[in-house]
Amino acid sequence: MTDADGSDGRELVIGSAEQLWQPSSRRNFLRLLGLGGTVVMLPSLFACNSDDNSVTGTGTATAVTLNLSNDTGILNYAFALEQLEAAFYTAVVASSAFSGMSAEQKEVMVDLRNHEVIHREFFRQVLGSARVGDLALNSSTVTTITANTATILKTAEMFEDLGVAAYNGAGKYLTDSANLLVAGKIVSVEARHAAAIRDLREGLSLSGTPAGTRFAGDDVVNASGLDVKLEPSGVLTRVAATNVIDMTKTSVSIGTQPTTKPGTDDQGPPSPTP
Amino acid sequence: MTDISSMLGIIEQQEPDFAQHVVTRREAIAKGAKVSAALGAAMALGSVPVALAAFSKEAYGQSTAATVQDVLNFALMLEIFENEFYKAVLGTSSVAAQNNAFAPVRALAIAAGAQPVLAQISKHEVAHVAFLQANGAVNVLNLGASSFDFTGARGAGNGPFAPATTNLGFLLATSQGAEDTGVRAYKGQAGNLMSNTTVLEAALRIHSVEARHASKIRRLRRATGATAVKYSGTVSGGGAAAAGAGNLNPPQAIVDAFNLIYAGDDNVTHAGVNVTSLSYSSVSGFPSGTDLATAATEAFDEALTKDQVRAIVQPFFIPTIP
Repeated sequence: MTDADGSDGRELVIGSAEQLWQPSSRRNFLRLLGLGGTVVMLPSLFACNSDDNSVTGTGTATAVTLNLSNDTGILNYAFALEQLEAAFYTAVVASSAFSGMSAEQKEVMVDLRNHEVIHREFFRQVLGSARVGDLALNSSTVTTITANTATILKTAEMFEDLGVAAYNGAGKYLTDSANLLVAGKIVSVEARHAAAIRDLREGLSLSGTPAGTRFAGDDVVNASGLDVKLEPSGVLTRVAATNVIDMTKTSVSIGTQPTTKPGTDDQGPPSPTP
Repeated sequence: MTDISSMLGIIEQQEPDFAQHVVTRREAIAKGAKVSAALGAAMALGSVPVALAAFSKEAYGQSTAATVQDVLNFALMLEIFENEFYKAVLGTSSVAAQNNAFAPVRALAIAAGAQPVLAQISKHEVAHVAFLQANGAVNVLNLGASSFDFTGARGAGNGPFAPATTNLGFLLATSQGAEDTGVRAYKGQAGNLMSNTTVLEAALRIHSVEARHASKIRRLRRATGATAVKYSGTVSGGGAAAAGAGNLNPPQAIVDAFNLIYAGDDNVTHAGVNVTSLSYSSVSGFPSGTDLATAATEAFDEALTKDQVRAIVQPFFIPTIP
């Protein structure tokens, strides 16, 4: 299968001096990022950064440019977000902080890791050679986040709410009902995750929402009973702000915006506090 | 390789209605219309049976479209049901008998700290009813507080869900069933809203709120003895087992109801891809020993058709649902 623009995929090993040197070993690096050691890049999107190919000679930067004007592009947008979540929870489960978590927290983190990895691999299979490349995480940011349970759960809350907002905002751009159904099957699972993480965080005696309400708090569900929703550009702005993706290696950007369709006003999730 | 057109010819003889839809689809494809990724992949692989399976699903999916108005009315019906259920539970129903029925379990919910959770959910159901009505949904059945028998006996008051009025475990399991039914119902109607993307987006935003509710109820249940449900709030497996209500030793009638609510929720094939047979071995961070079969059912929530939803909720409605 080829993308709408006719490009084909090919496989390369991702890697660079900076990526490989920061973790203590290549094995840990791969575990940390949840990458299989291969990356598929679209030749038309191929952008070489001369600083990044010094170690393996094959690794290089890849630009993930999303064409959101068709279903393939919207599904690739979802694929990118699932990559991010899957890599994050993979890093969480591999972190030393994980071993100090409660049994409940561990169960949730492992479940979320499993679900997000399945989502990612599902999209990888469905998109085939039309998929965008693999994202590289900013390992120093991930190391900081995974240093303790509090920042892990806070980041998880941000990712899950953002995932809900992203799927809710992207559904209207899908033109094939089969694709909309698949997105619907996934977004409700993300919402379950979001509620679970928020509820876990309430258990940490966080202030801001009345007891027993944080799972679907007034900060994410508005007075009409509607959940968060963001257009893709707003989602990617927030993703970039987390500094979790290493933008020097896999810059994620929107090449073509979706064809405008009527929808509802944006309502992004708040930055998790504290 | 077998020509798809000749295969369709065979089907046309056997099932004219199906064939008519497929012909429309085939013509659309011939004119260069977009083919879904699953169908495209199946055709590219030359797998005729797979391609036909995808074809039939898509053709039927598009042929049975209800109007946007139908979906709004249907959604309102479900939201009024949920709304009146939580009002009765919380004692805020306009009908004293409904409030009185749930008085015993209400006291238990307050004692267990579940009342704020139920109140937050109730607030959202009130909002959903108001939002749908403000956006053109019609209460076709003139449903009100007295239109429901929450024991599931259509007015007799002695149905299998009567224990939900006196037993907190049953109440929460019932609430979970209602929320998960709502999630699956909205999911099943999304495709019928594609012609009005504003309504579609609003429906998706309600859909995820219902999922948040279901997740929290599952977590409450896990914390109070339902060891078969996940702290992640996700649905494991399908059928009655997916309710995770074994700790309640429910009567057969409730098991039957859960079998309807979670029918097919253990599906692991989406857009033609069986997610249990992907190559996870090359993915670091997904270790062997992971219960992939269970995780795969949790990772995707399934839809219900309007007919399936009607069969689930009819016992709680005194009027007959059209």
